[in-house]
Amino acid sequence: MSGMECERLRELDAELALGVLPARERAEAVAHLDRCPNCREHVKRLTVVGDGLLALLPGAEPPVGFESRVVRALGAAPAPKRRRHRLGLAAAAAALACGFGGWAIGTVVEAAPPPVSQRTDGGLRAAALVSDGHVVGRIYAQAGDEGWVYMSVDLDGNGRGPVRCLLVHADGSTVPVGSFPLKDGYGYWGTPAATDPTTLAGARLMAPDGSVLATASLPTG
Amino acid sequence: MWRMGLFLGRVPDEALLTGLTTGDPELAVAFVRRYQRTVFGVALAVLGDPQLAEDVAQQTFERAWRHAQVYDPRRGSVRSWLMAIAHNLAIDAVRARRASPVDPEDLDALLGIVTETPERQALADDSAERVRRAVAELPLEQARALVMAGIYGMTAREVADAEDVPLGTAKTRIRTGTLKVRALLEAAEKR
Repeated sequence: MSGMECERLRELDAELALGVLPARERAEAVAHLDRCPNCREHVKRLTVVGDGLLALLPGAEPPVGFESRVVRALGAAPAPKRRRHRLGLAAAAAALACGFGGWAIGTVVEAAPPPVSQRTDGGLRAAALVSDGHVVGRIYAQAGDEGWVYMSVDLDGNGRGPVRCLLVHADGSTVPVGSFPLKDGYGYWGTPAATDPTTLAGARLMAPDGSVLATASLPTG
Repeated sequence: MWRMGLFLGRVPDEALLTGLTTGDPELAVAFVRRYQRTVFGVALAVLGDPQLAEDVAQQTFERAWRHAQVYDPRRGSVRSWLMAIAHNLAIDAVRARRASPVDPEDLDALLGIVTETPERQALADDSAERVRRAVAELPLEQARALVMAGIYGMTAREVADAEDVPLGTAKTRIRTGTLKVRALLEAAEKR
């Protein structure tokens, strides 16, 4: 890599980090960053300035009704019959290639369903609630003494409440954590629950007659 | 009786974003409620037009919903991710709407907001206050250039035209201001 390339990049570093470099220069600069980890790290450090400026902007209360309009636009209005379809739409969060300033997301992501189970760095685990091979909801479990469990389930009108939630441990033992009502097969519920990520393996939703409505397998460890 | 609203208020940002992809209406409401002031605030600061800012804020949530599965917490918080989306959409809207990206009066007002420490924050030493103090230490022309580029998304050419200075001068102001703020922040972090 020639010194001139890095030298030229450093002349444009701030404009690149702030996202105001004209398209042609930006393309050349990004191509350089692809090859040069030092310049990449340098520009990454400068993006903190732009992010910091945005963080100083005061919040402002949006107009009345904004929240409802946005939720409607997201297709998340409470209409149980359509929710299964929306799950599909969310899963198909389609191919994207967009730039978010310092975020610089440039990844093309193929349409894919949400993973059956996943774990994040923050100790949050998520898993699909499955009934007869179909995804009918999702459960989230935050580990630790301040932990909690949240789930939403849509049994397509087949379920009647209240349903009971059991946490399932790796040794097969179960612990009831509470119950919640379903309306036309749909319901959501959360509760504080101290959970140990090394032993909590999943969850079961039980009907009032004791039959299993849905199960989830959480990632362990 | 344990209340769902209180519970959702405690759910971590990342979990709410993950939940948004499920189409769960309660999680969607909680997500929008948590961030709407931030998102609308960014859009309004850049656009200065409440109607347009509302449109941009709504688009921000729609984009976050569509792209939630590629959010990477290693790159920053959910809040800063949303602010970046809102900022980019607002700048696009500005560019589509008018030739001159910023009204001088709006710039002066915004410069005041990002450099003057509110009384309640005077003793705070969080990252936002460190940025505020660093920008306040810049010479005025550098602070103006930095705000024009960093918040209004103006190119160096546009800054040069707005300030009636040569292009090279505008570039130098943007760059020097950015590097100084970064250096001041790093010095503050080491203390």
